[in-house]
Amino acid sequence: MDKATIELLARRAGLDKALAEFPEDVAAAAEQAGGSVARMKAPTDPRAEPWPPMRAGGGL
Amino acid sequence: MSDPHWLTASEAARAIAARKLSPVELMTALLERIGRLDPKLHVFIRLDAEGAMDAARAAEAEIISGRPRGPLHGLPVGIKDIIDVAGLPTTCHSKILIDNTAATDAVCVARLRGAGAIVVGKLSTHEFAIGGPSFDLPWPPARNPWNMDHHPGGSSSGSGAGIAVGLFPLALGSDTGGSVRNPASACGIVGLKPTYGLVSRRGVFPLSFTLDHVGPLTRTVADSALMLGVIAGHDPLDPGSAAAPPGHYASGLERGVRGLRIGFIRHFHETDLPADPEVAAALENVARTLQGAGTEIRNIRLPTLGEFGAVNRVILQSEAWAIHGPWLRERPGDYGQLARRRLMAGAFISAGDYVQAGRRRLEMIATVEDALRDVDVLLCASAMDPPSRIEDAAETERTYPRQARTPFNVTGHPALAMMAGISSGGLPLSVQFVGRYFGEATLFQVAREWERAAGTDEKHPPVM
Repeated sequence: MDKATIELLARRAGLDKALAEFPEDVAAAAEQAGGSVARMKAPTDPRAEPWPPMRAGGGL
Repeated sequence: MSDPHWLTASEAARAIAARKLSPVELMTALLERIGRLDPKLHVFIRLDAEGAMDAARAAEAEIISGRPRGPLHGLPVGIKDIIDVAGLPTTCHSKILIDNTAATDAVCVARLRGAGAIVVGKLSTHEFAIGGPSFDLPWPPARNPWNMDHHPGGSSSGSGAGIAVGLFPLALGSDTGGSVRNPASACGIVGLKPTYGLVSRRGVFPLSFTLDHVGPLTRTVADSALMLGVIAGHDPLDPGSAAAPPGHYASGLERGVRGLRIGFIRHFHETDLPADPEVAAALENVARTLQGAGTEIRNIRLPTLGEFGAVNRVILQSEAWAIHGPWLRERPGDYGQLARRRLMAGAFISAGDYVQAGRRRLEMIATVEDALRDVDVLLCASAMDPPSRIEDAAETERTYPRQARTPFNVTGHPALAMMAGISSGGLPLSVQFVGRYFGEATLFQVAREWERAAGTDEKHPPVM
């Protein structure tokens, strides 16, 4: 994620104060998030639903 | 009788019930030990010595008058400082909540007290159960009693260190990515993450709603079963609580393991995150020992730790951001740096990514369920390395994610970590057992067999 995108997303999330006081921490947070998303595989079945279920009574 | 501080909870409970040990005598001995060791180990955020002694005197009176409260009567318990205890602070080890005092007990604490346990105080954690070990918080991090230069694991750090060194026989922790099992692994004790929803989370400060579990830390498997029997049970006011009755967790402890089938997930520590050779050797020794006791060992393959870890982090970061966003916007400087960085990550994850993680999660659950149709219990690594030096931030950063605990937060299966041996450097090595949903009794059965064979319950940190 480039610096301009990080700043844009951080401001959109309301992190202006953090951006001003802890810019390196904001950048590190964005890097962590990007790494997690990049390493996640997409579901193999297009009909796959999420857990927890989107309907009542479908837990463990 | 052993020194009071090395009595297991089960032994102490029997001795109290038989009037061979008084709750006051036990509490006095432990408070003396806490006073001597805690200044070095930093287990406590808030010690409630006065409240604990008052409760011990009341417990003694109840025993004398023949009115025991329950199976934990007179037993001291330490509570991780993200779990509410009425009248005591819940700071989450953070400046953010430094003035927060709990009005009521968390459900798990109320159940412990109802069974006769005595809260001795609130225990160190990583900040909000995620940011640590940190030296920029209002309290120092706990240290490992096996070697105080080392990390005791986290985030339930004080729970692990305090149990290992005999400051109390029972402790509560929470586990979102391994935070009960990590200190259990690093401190050579028994840590259980129960089935998701088995123990109420009401009154526990959340980190990630769908990954959070509350669980016991103890020195023995029997004590873990004893404590789970008290804290397990449906809570209609916890949206994640399972409508399942508690089990008879100690029923199979001495039954042996002959005929059970154990699935060994070797790829976790052989190829996904190659383990320290001493860890790998210890895991093979556990498998050989259980095979010798009559189990069948089969190789099992699951998705890689990298895949599980990514799903865990996307969910955790998203849900934690939903909780901490308001404070991170207004008071970012009141967090330590580690928590600030980890908790802000969710601001950079899209709603679509969060849903994708949930969809992948369901597929992963199905894979683990498939594996558990063919075997009774899974065996795998917990930590890939002995605990790091606590002041070596780079080494802690490198080794902390090298673990195999997060898969079972993602899937919600019960998982227990315990000592597998001791490294050449004198630090605990660990193993993890994983069971079917609500299959904690079988998990305890296997863990007890290993404990009995290896004598892990008799291994304590060097005398301090």
